[in-house]
Amino acid sequence: MLLPKFEFHEPATVEEACRILGELGEKAKTLAGGTDLFVNMKKKVLAPEHVVSLDRIESLSELGSSNGMLRIGACVKAAEIAESHAVGGDFPALQGGASKLGSPLIRNLATIGGNLVSARPAADFPPPLMVYGAKAVLKSSTGERTVAVSDFIEGPGRTIISPEEILDSLLIEKPAAHSGSAYIKLGIREALEISLVNVAVFMTTEGPDGSIKAARVVMGSVGPTPLMSPSAEKVLLGEKPSGALYLAAGEAAAMDSRPIDDFRASADYKRAMVKELTRRALAQAYNEI
Amino acid sequence: MKKMICLTINGKEYELAVVPNMTLADLLREELLLTGTKKGCELGDCGTCTVIMNGKAVNSCLVLAVQAAGKEITTVEGLETEKGLHPLQEKFIENGAIQCGFCTSGMLLSAKTLLDKNPKPDELEIRTAISGNLCRCTGYQKIVESIKDVSEGR
Repeated sequence: MLLPKFEFHEPATVEEACRILGELGEKAKTLAGGTDLFVNMKKKVLAPEHVVSLDRIESLSELGSSNGMLRIGACVKAAEIAESHAVGGDFPALQGGASKLGSPLIRNLATIGGNLVSARPAADFPPPLMVYGAKAVLKSSTGERTVAVSDFIEGPGRTIISPEEILDSLLIEKPAAHSGSAYIKLGIREALEISLVNVAVFMTTEGPDGSIKAARVVMGSVGPTPLMSPSAEKVLLGEKPSGALYLAAGEAAAMDSRPIDDFRASADYKRAMVKELTRRALAQAYNEI
Repeated sequence: MKKMICLTINGKEYELAVVPNMTLADLLREELLLTGTKKGCELGDCGTCTVIMNGKAVNSCLVLAVQAAGKEITTVEGLETEKGLHPLQEKFIENGAIQCGFCTSGMLLSAKTLLDKNPKPDELEIRTAISGNLCRCTGYQKIVESIKDVSEGR
């Protein structure tokens, strides 16, 4: 299976990458981990004249936190995020997404930025990023902008990124005290799987036994983009955590989901799974508090 | 247009001219005749093209040869030393963990990166480490047992 021919660019800095992309525009594709791009090129879905690799830009591969803010460079590999203590301690849903993506071999190549820009409805990174209110930093030769991840993805394979921009990094604020989060991915098998349904949840309570003062539920694979469930959040806010409450939130989330019948499963099944996964994820998140 | 790259494969340095659209898997197999690295799906699903790149097991079908510039690559041919086969290779043979053999080089390299990082893995860690390598013959049991045997010094 041959890759179509292309010209290869390997900028060493973000500025250089932005300059090259500014000149080439739509003729170029940005290469991060390659686990989506090369598959699409081999299948002849894409045949860019130019490939601009971000591999050699060091700042894009850095992960670190300062002043209560976690910064993940767009080219940080899924495996590194899965193994990072900074991520595991405060952001268990993000660690969950990173460790469920593809296989160990894929996780050593695939990047968080690539996963976001590919914008597949079943992707593992967007739901966890969205429950933490993560922001994406986009750069081009004319400037920089920061957008919420929830506003970044527009549809299957479509994002707001323009051809001359690169995704530089993701920024996530450290959650408040008494916060918990979780990510659950349902597939038919354990590894190398595309989600049938995935759910990420986040909650903050008023003190250790208090009521819920912040909540977020995001569902993947049940709509053209990962979906937030405002109804589930409404059910949770101001209430004391309990099994009955999680079930009610699950039912509300299922109502907000918009699954379709496809070869993976029926819409009815996916809706039922949104309900159950939301219930389980909330219980798991509460245990993290 | 070809690009010059320098890289280390199985401890040996190479300077090569490669076209940008050549994968690392093709460089190894077609140019260097290191055919121990297999090509199955060529889309990152089967793991038969697994190599170790700077200590990490990756699908060489999803890496460009030009991206491997400056990197250290280990293929299955690099596991054997003057002392003989790698302990994992010995155990795979002894336990009958090889049937058709097509997945074996990938399995060995995924197992090696696991044991290099985690010398005493439990069964779940072993099964997770090889979860990107498909075997259609053995049912995985003997492969898992072989990796466990090596980790326990049996």
